[in-house]
Amino acid sequence: MIRAFLGGMRIHVIQFSRNPFDLSGVFLWPILYASIAYYLLRSKDDPRLMLAASLGAAVMLMWSLVVIGSSNALENQRWLGTLELLVAAPAPFAAAIASITVASGFVGAYGFVATLLWGRLLFHVPIAIDDPFAFVLAILCCVLAIGTLGLVMASTFVLYRAAFSLGIGLQYPVWIATGLLVPLSVLPAFVGKIGWLLGPYWGFRAIRQAALGGGPWPQMGMCLVVSAAYVVIGALCLRLFVRVARSTGSLKLT
Amino acid sequence: MDGLCRTYRSRRGIARRRRNDVEALRGISFEVERGELFGLLGPNGAGKTTTIKILATLLLPSAGSARVLGFDPAREPGKVRPRIGHVFGGDRGLYDRLSALDNLRYFADLYRVPVREKRARIGELLELVGLAGRERERVETYSRGMRQRLHIARGLLHDPEILFLDEPTIGLDPVGAREVRETVATLRTQGKTILLTTHYMYEADELCQRIAVISEGELAAAGTPSELKARVRDRTIVEIETFGVEYDVLERLRAVEGVASVATETREQAVVVLVQSQRGSELVQRLLGELDGTKVGRVITREPTLEDAYVSLVQAS
Repeated sequence: MIRAFLGGMRIHVIQFSRNPFDLSGVFLWPILYASIAYYLLRSKDDPRLMLAASLGAAVMLMWSLVVIGSSNALENQRWLGTLELLVAAPAPFAAAIASITVASGFVGAYGFVATLLWGRLLFHVPIAIDDPFAFVLAILCCVLAIGTLGLVMASTFVLYRAAFSLGIGLQYPVWIATGLLVPLSVLPAFVGKIGWLLGPYWGFRAIRQAALGGGPWPQMGMCLVVSAAYVVIGALCLRLFVRVARSTGSLKLT
Repeated sequence: MDGLCRTYRSRRGIARRRRNDVEALRGISFEVERGELFGLLGPNGAGKTTTIKILATLLLPSAGSARVLGFDPAREPGKVRPRIGHVFGGDRGLYDRLSALDNLRYFADLYRVPVREKRARIGELLELVGLAGRERERVETYSRGMRQRLHIARGLLHDPEILFLDEPTIGLDPVGAREVRETVATLRTQGKTILLTTHYMYEADELCQRIAVISEGELAAAGTPSELKARVRDRTIVEIETFGVEYDVLERLRAVEGVASVATETREQAVVVLVQSQRGSELVQRLLGELDGTKVGRVITREPTLEDAYVSLVQAS
């Protein structure tokens, strides 16, 4: 299982690195997200607010890279005809799919760091981190939470042919429910409650607390709890949805 | 396999959803012995690939049951998967931007090939399929024949007891197809149990020990190639080369007394009408009489082949 997982990550990274379109996107998006964060709040002239906005933009990009990367990779598996082979292999299918979402999670982590660095380089947004050790741990927790949420989403991508379109559509609800796009205080109270179930909600808050001061540990703990829940839910959903796909004969369809 | 059925369901329409059922398999039953190379013949849409996918755990049957080495592929996929290899024809099923070596390494991980054996096993298989020395090139630069041979290597990585080959020579040029057939013949001599689907008669005749012909989801006949040929041994085949023939003319030919079946085959610019009749019946003049007004080329009378047996079985079913 571990070999299938690590081998899958390697394959995903090589495939990704050999697609100039994907690579150019990963290079350009951090600049775009850093620019949006800066131009939205530059009039406030508050360095801490600028950093908070940059962190929010960076987590938004991280989620986008994971959900779009995973859905694109899974749709690609359909087009290549390898999805059936992954299902028919003796190694657990969840290991093959998790390798894709976790590899996308690491691409997302790069996107996070790159957004902060471009903000610093182009707009002089200060990266004054209150607790660097906790900050690094919080990023890793956020990658884990986002990658495993990607696993749950990916289980639905197995069932539907238009995985990439579904992936694009799934960006916005998570941005909104986690308070990344607009503050949760301006939204109805139930939206915040939904956010509690989402890994990026806790990941973003852990990163923000570690960067701006405050105890990030409870949020990191929640990241780990929801990540564990996502792994269980994702594995169960994958098993169920593969059964459905075997029943409907939709694994081969493109 | 015992009475295997498979129905595909789809829905159409937006406001009023209508269900559309397509019966791909309607109660197929046959057995394959260990170490046997068994051919599954049939026209497009006959149910060959559906059969293989059920056996390879990728599809669930709607009714009936199947056993693979004593295990049920529908209920015990985890026990079937390590024991089988599945190779399908065509361009798909490989990571194009990766080298052949990277593809094989990954599938070796997925198929749980022991780490110590992985390198040697990949080397052996590359030799077997004739890709040694080309393994570091990206798959996207491979010819179709090379991809197909890489597919076979992938399917053999974990040394499966049974190999499912689904139209492995489809779309290959004659040289590429011959190379793949040679590889399959080598595997047969190594004692592998192989289930091969194809719609090329000569391929089945050359490779298979036994053949099942399926048509429209039903088993039309099963037996050795000689047994199937024997079914039309009492017949004579008349090949009439035409340059376009009307449907009603074919119907007139079918109505001629003594004619068992009529089929057409396109060969370059010509449409060849293949008429099967009882041996000894002299029908050529009568057939040519019915073709009055149709431009006719060469006319040949010959002995029946496996392909004629196949045509006869498919038309009769």
